[in-house]
Amino acid sequence: MTLADLKEQFGDPTPAELQLIAKYGELPEDARRLRAFEAFAKNGLPHRRMEQWKWTDFRHAIHAIETGQPRREKTIEPSDDALVFRFDGKSWHVPQDLPDGLSVFEKSEAQAVGNAEELPLAALAGALTGQSGRADLLQVEVTKPIKQPVFLDFDYERLETAFARIAFVVRPEAKVDVIERHAGGAGFSSVLVEFGIQDGGHVTRSLLQSGGAEEATAITAGVTLGAQAVYEQTALAFGAKVARIETRLAYEGEAGRAHINAAYLPADGYHVDFTSHVRHGAQSCVTRQLTKGAVNDGGRGVFQGKFHVPRSVGQHTDADMQHQAILLENGAEVYAKPELEIYADDVECAHGNTSGQLDETALFYMRQRGIPHMEARALLTEAFIAEALETAHPSVRDSLLEASRAFLRNEA
Amino acid sequence: MLKLDNLSARVGEEESEKTILNGLSLEVPAGEVHAIMGPNGAGKSTLAYLLTGREGYEVTGGTATLDGKDLLAMEPEDRAAHGVFLSFQYPVEIPGVPVMTFVRTAMNAQRKARGEEEMSAPEFIKKAREIGGILNIDAEMLKRPVNVGFSGGEKKRLEIFQMMMMEPRFSILDETDSGLDIDALKTVANGVNALRSPERSMLVITHYQRLLDHIRPDKVHVLAKGRIIKSGGPELAEQLERDGYDGILGEVA
Ligand SMILES: Nc1ncnc2c1ncn2[C@@H]1O[C@H](COP(=O)(O)OP(=O)(O)OP(=O)(O)O)[C@@H](O)[C@H]1O
Ligand SMILES: [Mg+2]
Repeated sequence: MTLADLKEQFGDPTPAELQLIAKYGELPEDARRLRAFEAFAKNGLPHRRMEQWKWTDFRHAIHAIETGQPRREKTIEPSDDALVFRFDGKSWHVPQDLPDGLSVFEKSEAQAVGNAEELPLAALAGALTGQSGRADLLQVEVTKPIKQPVFLDFDYERLETAFARIAFVVRPEAKVDVIERHAGGAGFSSVLVEFGIQDGGHVTRSLLQSGGAEEATAITAGVTLGAQAVYEQTALAFGAKVARIETRLAYEGEAGRAHINAAYLPADGYHVDFTSHVRHGAQSCVTRQLTKGAVNDGGRGVFQGKFHVPRSVGQHTDADMQHQAILLENGAEVYAKPELEIYADDVECAHGNTSGQLDETALFYMRQRGIPHMEARALLTEAFIAEALETAHPSVRDSLLEASRAFLRNEA
Repeated sequence: MLKLDNLSARVGEEESEKTILNGLSLEVPAGEVHAIMGPNGAGKSTLAYLLTGREGYEVTGGTATLDGKDLLAMEPEDRAAHGVFLSFQYPVEIPGVPVMTFVRTAMNAQRKARGEEEMSAPEFIKKAREIGGILNIDAEMLKRPVNVGFSGGEKKRLEIFQMMMMEPRFSILDETDSGLDIDALKTVANGVNALRSPERSMLVITHYQRLLDHIRPDKVHVLAKGRIIKSGGPELAEQLERDGYDGILGEVA
């Protein structure tokens, strides 16, 4: 397929889409790259007429891709022992000395993207990474439990675009703690992080996302779990003009376990979307999902969660999905779609979804004791959010709480 | 200290609008403890909320001043910084916020608003231990979220704990005695008496003589139908205990 054919496929491409087509055109031809780009090109930048993107419209949000202007929130810092992998928007920078049990391979060819059709922005990241002379695609092999956390630092200095991909292969009984800092700075960015966790493997992932009010960003995780593998994800997001943090997880062996926890705090003009899809493709797997959000006037939070439990293979599934949001001010928006799609008959699945306001009586009680209104609101919200962040890696748990505290007190 | 002059207030909107305080006048001089008694629904809690700035009440007339300052014009947190404290009839649960964090945040916020130094952590902890000891509140309880899962009596004791920590100049106790066992009633009364000083005043809302036996109030007022209909010395409480409100209401009418 030629570039002209691709342009044709878009119908009426926006300036942003034309920019992305041009980027693709600069890269060497490659069948896998083409397949990934086609998956993106099918609908172009995701937009509201696509069911999975009805509340998060990238096409509308970015007309043309411009240079990013990061907003500096209070953020997380790598602990002293952390292995910092920095992605500057073009290449990964990896420490020279890696501990025993951790190997890093640079890939100079595009790799296929799983579920590319359903994950157009991950497909785009797959299509635009993996070229010789540019280390934007890494594979990390973990063969033992690794003590030091791996700190993935996505930090861009006023870029138009940034695309990165990193895949972890976690061998049986190996363990790795991954911490991600997404600090923004690119007008449009898409990052794909993959975890192939083999039998008895264990991954924890803690993530902080912040970005500029004019930026669009997608962070996608693709996770597969072998028998008795464990995956624990904890994310805090402040959003961007549009920010989509998506997790697609599939159990492939029995008795896998996952926690997927998240908190979102979008300010005026910010949008955070947490979307997840969990496939209970093996028996006796356990999923616990808790998403909490607090939204200011002019902010928008989106939660879309789906548990898919197929017949027979999904037997003895134990899954719980909770989403709770607080609208801090009039004019805050929250959209939620929790879905349980269950075909197996012997399962325990539950979900809950609430959104409301802070308790006025509690606010008055606090103010009566002398705590100013904003501070009282921040304390209550922080206490509310904290539950979703408890599972974060110990080296960043407190800083995640501090980041939300600073945000809620307008101290950023 | 506190001066209420012809205070009137209502709640609700349009059709459900209801006048609750109806020309209430009351003065509590510095150093005095006054009790307010009155039938259910008379407007006692409403008065307490109005003085502390809870939303939902509309003042339709009159004034309320503390040391000459217009209370009604202040935000609730500013009133607190000026020394107004309310022990709630129904203390409120604050999920996720431990008592110690809460009280310390509140005290330091008040101090900051008054332009005073913050209290140091060791100083705070020492004082909390001391007062906790007096009120039978152990350290474990102070680590729990405010009022969450507390028994009725524990909640009331925690209100007094906060009052003793904050040493407010003007305290309103709204039925703090309800729900307390006999021993707790004594400890609470001792706490109240310990705070008595020439610069501090209190308004004690109660239904029972019991508490007033321990706290000898300087004056007793009867609030009914949104007004103070009768005032007197401690003997007025005794008369009410004996005859009920019917007698007094009849007397006034
Ligand atoms: N927000 C409100 N809307 C409607 N009516 C209200 C509201 N708040 C209070 N009231 C009414 O005002 C009256 C006075 O209430 P208040 O709580 O002040 O009584 P009280 O004297 O404290 O009674 P108690 O001794 O039972 O505590 C009651 O009839 C009550 O139902
Ligand atoms: Mg009352």
